[in-house]
Amino acid sequence: MSRLHAAVGAAGVICASAAALSAVDPVAAVAPRLEFTPPRPGSYVLQKIQPVANATLLDEAGRPTRLSAATTGRITLLTFFYTYCADPLGCPFAYHTLMQVRRGVVEDSRLAQHVRFLSVSLDPTTDTPEVVGRYKDMVMRDPRLDWNVLTARSVRDLLPVLEDFGQDVSVEQAADGTPRRTVHHMLKMFLIDRTGMVREIYTLAYLQPEVILNDIRTLYLEEKSKG
Amino acid sequence: MRHQYRQPTRVLCAGLMFALLVVASIAQGDETCNSPYMSGLITGQEDYIHVWTLGEPGLGDGSDKLVTIDVNPASRTYGKVIATASVGGRGEAHHMGFTDDRKYLWAGGLDDSKIYVFDVGTNPAKPRLVRTITNLSAKSGFIGPHTFYALPGRMLIGNLSNSTDKGGVTGLALYNNKGTFITKYEMPTGTVGGVKGDGYGYDIAVNPAKNVMLTSSFAGWNNYMRNLGDVVKDPEAMKHFGSTMVAWNLKSMKPIQVLNVPGAPLEIRWALGPGQNWAVTAAALTSKIWLIRQDSHGTWAAKEVGTIGDPAKIPLPVDISISADGKGLWVNTFMDGVTHYFDVTDPEHPKETYQKHTGRQVNMVSQSWDGKRIYITSSLLSKWDKTGEDNEQVLRAYRWDGKSLTTAFEVDFTKEKLGRPHHMKFTAKPTAQLAYAETAR
Repeated sequence: MSRLHAAVGAAGVICASAAALSAVDPVAAVAPRLEFTPPRPGSYVLQKIQPVANATLLDEAGRPTRLSAATTGRITLLTFFYTYCADPLGCPFAYHTLMQVRRGVVEDSRLAQHVRFLSVSLDPTTDTPEVVGRYKDMVMRDPRLDWNVLTARSVRDLLPVLEDFGQDVSVEQAADGTPRRTVHHMLKMFLIDRTGMVREIYTLAYLQPEVILNDIRTLYLEEKSKG
Repeated sequence: MRHQYRQPTRVLCAGLMFALLVVASIAQGDETCNSPYMSGLITGQEDYIHVWTLGEPGLGDGSDKLVTIDVNPASRTYGKVIATASVGGRGEAHHMGFTDDRKYLWAGGLDDSKIYVFDVGTNPAKPRLVRTITNLSAKSGFIGPHTFYALPGRMLIGNLSNSTDKGGVTGLALYNNKGTFITKYEMPTGTVGGVKGDGYGYDIAVNPAKNVMLTSSFAGWNNYMRNLGDVVKDPEAMKHFGSTMVAWNLKSMKPIQVLNVPGAPLEIRWALGPGQNWAVTAAALTSKIWLIRQDSHGTWAAKEVGTIGDPAKIPLPVDISISADGKGLWVNTFMDGVTHYFDVTDPEHPKETYQKHTGRQVNMVSQSWDGKRIYITSSLLSKWDKTGEDNEQVLRAYRWDGKSLTTAFEVDFTKEKLGRPHHMKFTAKPTAQLAYAETAR
């Protein structure tokens, strides 16, 4: 066990509580300004930015899961998270956005069966399959929409995935060079079509639920037109 | 074997720090002129300036290069060149832009249309060339990559010309961050919103809250790779400069309006203050400041609002830099070597409140986020720079106290055998953070 671990054990309980609280009642976060009417679904084309990397992660049961399998067959909205990121403007901000998008998706039952959310943990050490499974049960499960969760065996296994998505992650460093307890990552969401191609990437300036929802509908219409 | 790194954030409640990052990112773009999609805003003292520098035959290795200068006054190498990364050829180095994660700088050659990708994230004190993209012309038909504008996971490139007639009709090329070409967008040549497009291109600037992207227009290879004196004397050539801007629907990447802005509107800057939904540009040939904003019906309009120097003398405003609060605008005029400061508190009526002669020829101007420091470089284009003694090639750093500029340091790019300095970008030393990969070792 690392000395850091030993030093901060008690705080973990506090954070776990905060995470639970935030999951139940996410504080309304400040969305980016949206001073326009999003273009009508299907009136524009989302470009094919890049294919999803092929990597093996773990589902909540600890089963090896190909990322390619987890991101094909449906329109997928993928985001990276960690279960203990509790600040209302941090991961819960993304969660709050996802809740709004989910609301829009499930209101259209035809759309919902073609869409999934996928959350991939940034911290496989803490977020074991069991932990992410509990988290999923607590905050993600909804019979109307698939919301899957993945973690990895190790940071090393996760790194190629992060690099491929361009998901920057760093850890604060103490003066003596040891890692501190703060993870930084640029909040991003990835919209992936049913073939596993990334079609849009949302960062904070883009994180507008109405736009994301219209993009999902645009992909749905595109796929529908192909039969 | 399960890796033994114990992620210390297990107990973390990292929320506060993360929240600060989030808020900062929402509130602002970057050091006043970069893409709002870019992370890593430097609000305090920048540590390094990277200068994309045109190679000069017979000077040093003669190649285009990325020059890195230490600009932190607390450093013992303050004001000194600390690294160069040569690309091993000369292709008219001009502009560059960060990827959205600010880890890579994409830099273009206006003549050879090559795009160089430098890693500035691993060690910003020593950038490293990691990729060269050579398929712009083959994939898009465009040449002269000018503006590199970060979008999430991808780079939008504003070009100046085309490979068919090397004139000014051109477009935008979209690549992903790995360097794979995605698609292209033609600049409009038809009538959009009642105004005919000229098809020319130059700068790109996005306002995400309005879902609008503005582009401006300059000239094709035939003009920018020809001696300026010859161009000016050639009435036919002088017809081939851009006279429009285009407002695009960013999401659909479709032009929604063409705006008449005669005289080659170049750099575009959105005001960055909350709720400030206006942008400015400077028209090089007419020496005018133009304001772009929506009218009460939501229609975008361009309006001439100011004059820079004496237009009859063609001072040639080339670069502008807006302050973070949207109240001040620096303008460099190339021909007379003057750096101007305009009060744009009322953007409809810019007022010049200060000017200083900063060189025999001055081109780019960049300011720190806090507005306390500005940097200028001298070179415009290899064929347009002055000759003889007037061909001064320098980077000069100044301190700005709100009233006057005082010299901080300068680097003579000729004495240092570097070349002609053009575009500048800032970086900072990595904060006390470990790349995630480090934790896995």
